[in-house]
Amino acid sequence: MKTYKQFRIQTEPVNVELVSGLLWQLDLDGINETDSGLIVFAGSAKNISQGDLENILDRLVDDEQIQSFTIEEETLEDKNWNEEYEKNVRVIKVTDRIVIKPSFKDYTPEKDQIIITIDPKMSFGTGEHATTKLVLQLIEEYVHGGEKVLDVGSGTGVLGICSVMLGAESAICIDNDEWCFLNGDENVKANHLENKVEIRLAEIQQIKENNFDLIVANINKHILLEIADEIKLKINKTGTLILSGLLIIDEKDIVEKFTSIGFVLKDKNEMDEWCALVLQLD
Amino acid sequence: MAKKIDGFIKLQIPAGAANPSPPVGPALGQKGVNIMEFCKQFNARTSAQQGLIIPVVITVYSDKSFTFITKTPPAAVLLKKAAKVEKGSAEPNKTKVAKVTSSQVREIATLKMPDLNAHDVDHAMSMVAGTARSMGFTVED
Repeated sequence: MKTYKQFRIQTEPVNVELVSGLLWQLDLDGINETDSGLIVFAGSAKNISQGDLENILDRLVDDEQIQSFTIEEETLEDKNWNEEYEKNVRVIKVTDRIVIKPSFKDYTPEKDQIIITIDPKMSFGTGEHATTKLVLQLIEEYVHGGEKVLDVGSGTGVLGICSVMLGAESAICIDNDEWCFLNGDENVKANHLENKVEIRLAEIQQIKENNFDLIVANINKHILLEIADEIKLKINKTGTLILSGLLIIDEKDIVEKFTSIGFVLKDKNEMDEWCALVLQLD
Repeated sequence: MAKKIDGFIKLQIPAGAANPSPPVGPALGQKGVNIMEFCKQFNARTSAQQGLIIPVVITVYSDKSFTFITKTPPAAVLLKKAAKVEKGSAEPNKTKVAKVTSSQVREIATLKMPDLNAHDVDHAMSMVAGTARSMGFTVED
């Protein structure tokens, strides 16, 4: 399991803006500002030492910007930090047909409903967030049966799982996060789809298969812009691309990029401040 | 009726790169907030600021829902960007490693005004210039 160094820093006087700003010269993962000071986090693999932080703070003492400081170092093991939230995960009725539930809750399906079991742990895609709802609504509309599906940035694996439950032939779900890989695999097993849905720890560039009939990606704008060309290489000529994780204000930039490489916007769906787009090759 | 506030969480994380590991995971997890939903929203809203560090204040409500506001990056982070360097000096009083112009300092000070305890832009400029000196940057007219 990955570990993190956690440094608790107190300075006299407190000057969060200055101290934190200078500490960001190190390759940190983040800072938590608390009432008693700063907690600085860095993955253990980065080899940031207490001495590195002391050097920066010593300079502030020399410069009379602070009078004194203390640092306490601890090691923190990564774990499922979402456990507390998971206890409150609800059954989500995404559409009249698609229902998502955690494994520890019972739900009696109504006629024609598909029930997807998802325990999210630290992956995205419980069906609660607008971006997931939007893309699932579009999957329901665009999966007609027999499709080969690629889910890019798959999180819990919910999009691939749902596609297959709606009739797609198979789904490859890729994510570059190890938590998502492990969690996606658990969710595939929970839905008994091991022979149709495959979760891979991979980037899109590492996928050898192509000619996907449906590609879905619920990520965010800058990643979608980066991988637009790879997506085009993977989709078949009559395939459908569904993009989500986008703010409505992002639509223009995304449509501009994807139309510049040969896609046309066919459909879109909006909820709150979010939108999902359906594109096909011209 | 307004929702009851359970607490505030203040973090600094790279724009567009929030993930469920520390510091986000432990800070939000102990409050029962959906960590991934926060990451999704934060990354979407800050994706245009890639490369900067974004302070964020998250308000957690008693029903475990949340809202957040982002603030301006620390002055030191903006100064590094303006000077196009990765780091400040290890000996700022002796070794100067970069230069910034007073107009760059004014630009940073103006941007940071809402988040600084400064009564006017000149006061904010002196604070930003002080940070520049602590990094071994010289400020030129």
